[in-house]
Amino acid sequence: MSNVKQISVFVDNRPNQAAGAMRVIKESGVNLRALSLADTADFGIIRLIANDTEKAVEALRAASYAVNVTEVCAISIPDAPGQLSRVLDALGADDVNVDYMYSFLGASDRSVSFVIRVDDNSKASETFTKHGVIQLTENDIAEM
Amino acid sequence: MERYWNQEIECMSQEDMKKLQDERLVAQVKHVYDNVKYYRDLMDEKGVKPEDIKGVDDLCKLPFLSKADLREAYPYGLLAKPLDECVRIQSTSGTTGKRVVAFYTQNDVDMWEDCVARAITAAGGTNEDVCQIAYGYGLFTGGAGLHGGSHKVGCLTLPMSSGNTERQITFMQDLGATILCCTPSYAAYIGETLHEMGLTPDDIKLKAGIFGAEPWTEEMRQSIEKSLGLKAYDIYGLTESSGPGVAFECCEQSGMHINEDNFYPEIINPDTGEVLPEGEVGELVFTSLTKEAFPLIRYRTRDLCVLSRKKCSCGRTLIKMAKPMGRSDDMLIIRGVNVFPSQIETVLIEQGYSPNYLIEVDRKNNTDTLDINVEMNPDQFSDKVKDMQEQEKDLAEAMKAMLGINPKVHLVSPKSIARSEGKAVRVIDKRKLIDNPAKK
Repeated sequence: MSNVKQISVFVDNRPNQAAGAMRVIKESGVNLRALSLADTADFGIIRLIANDTEKAVEALRAASYAVNVTEVCAISIPDAPGQLSRVLDALGADDVNVDYMYSFLGASDRSVSFVIRVDDNSKASETFTKHGVIQLTENDIAEM
Repeated sequence: MERYWNQEIECMSQEDMKKLQDERLVAQVKHVYDNVKYYRDLMDEKGVKPEDIKGVDDLCKLPFLSKADLREAYPYGLLAKPLDECVRIQSTSGTTGKRVVAFYTQNDVDMWEDCVARAITAAGGTNEDVCQIAYGYGLFTGGAGLHGGSHKVGCLTLPMSSGNTERQITFMQDLGATILCCTPSYAAYIGETLHEMGLTPDDIKLKAGIFGAEPWTEEMRQSIEKSLGLKAYDIYGLTESSGPGVAFECCEQSGMHINEDNFYPEIINPDTGEVLPEGEVGELVFTSLTKEAFPLIRYRTRDLCVLSRKKCSCGRTLIKMAKPMGRSDDMLIIRGVNVFPSQIETVLIEQGYSPNYLIEVDRKNNTDTLDINVEMNPDQFSDKVKDMQEQEKDLAEAMKAMLGINPKVHLVSPKSIARSEGKAVRVIDKRKLIDNPAKK
């Protein structure tokens, strides 16, 4: 298993709310590897991959943010047409449901990385292994 | 064993109590007729003379008094004693409009403090207790009333007033406070802060809390009892009638005993003014029986509740009033349906949410809208938008089941709704600005 930890932060859908959470991260000295923001009319959920999850969570909680940590899959695939489609087809064929995903900069300029939130991490991991998809670990993220 | 502050009165037979009330009412009515022109005019207008009132059974012959009367008579119009015999002024918080001032002679202050002493004793307070008063001090009767009662009982009194919550908790710890007196919303905030400071109820010595001055629910009681590790007692009163201590809860926690030797209660139909029998819900009306400076005859409190003479396990025979369902002022009429903020509070606590909420009522395209901002529960936070929207939907459905109308529920960040150190502001009714621009 090579999942990575994702931090989710609840923010109100009002000006300056995402900025507030980012200020807390900045002050904690943690560096972010990936980020996505999902929004509804009332609130947003910021999802983060950080180089130091524990430290980031501690800083956010201390500032009264609602925070949770979930294990998500992170993969690295070649930066070429059709690559993501191939991965999603494989997950679909194995009946793994994708809740959401977002991309981030990879380790090299010939690859691209994705965070994929699925309903079954171990099943997804098997699928990735079977199809030779590179899975990123916590260490990979920390060293990026 | 149950302790009483004034056993003779608190456990008096109903028959003796009525005799006492009759006697006192006759004197009180004569006192206002002789000394207050405002009352005299009201009574003359209704064609009733003091000698028509021979006891509490004749009370229905007398006219009602409303808050509007108090405002009209401001400041001295209802004063029944010369100012040189008065020793104190207190005032309403003015949450519902222009302030009302009340006057006290020394006897009035003594009577008031005696009523509060009964409440503190019923909550288990003795001269060995340390009583932390976190009601606001000043014109508001909360601080002064509990302060005086605490002195009477002989508790070591900590006059903290409200605010500076961390200091409240530090004093509570350092000085071993055993009784906390404040508004229920402030008690909830103190509990929340205690846990944020990394403390638990084991770190403090509170055994009882006496909470009043705003409506609160049974669910809120349980939540405060858990977070502060105490038994929470309700206390009721109005500035107009003296202050907190008109009625108080005993260990049974099933309604408040009214100090009916001083305050005679009636329940009326708020629309017709007709007196309703015991057990029926209606507007609570009080008549003071012993007040000197600022007597109240048939004062309409606008609080909706029920009276009960059921035998109480604490041994007190004083009539009980149920927790008011809400002040008729607090009641919102939304799309023709009566909504009390306390109903919303009940649902929130049942569903595991913080009782800090903000209701916004507005009118859009001639239809009332009800928006409820609720602090999301960090323990139920999910990274999936779908899960969070389901929480909003579930909460809206639970609200609909309770209220009978569909609200819009909005989850907001934890601790983003302002905490109150006194009376909490829970409702913003934007319709008032449209309907009644002249209303002050």
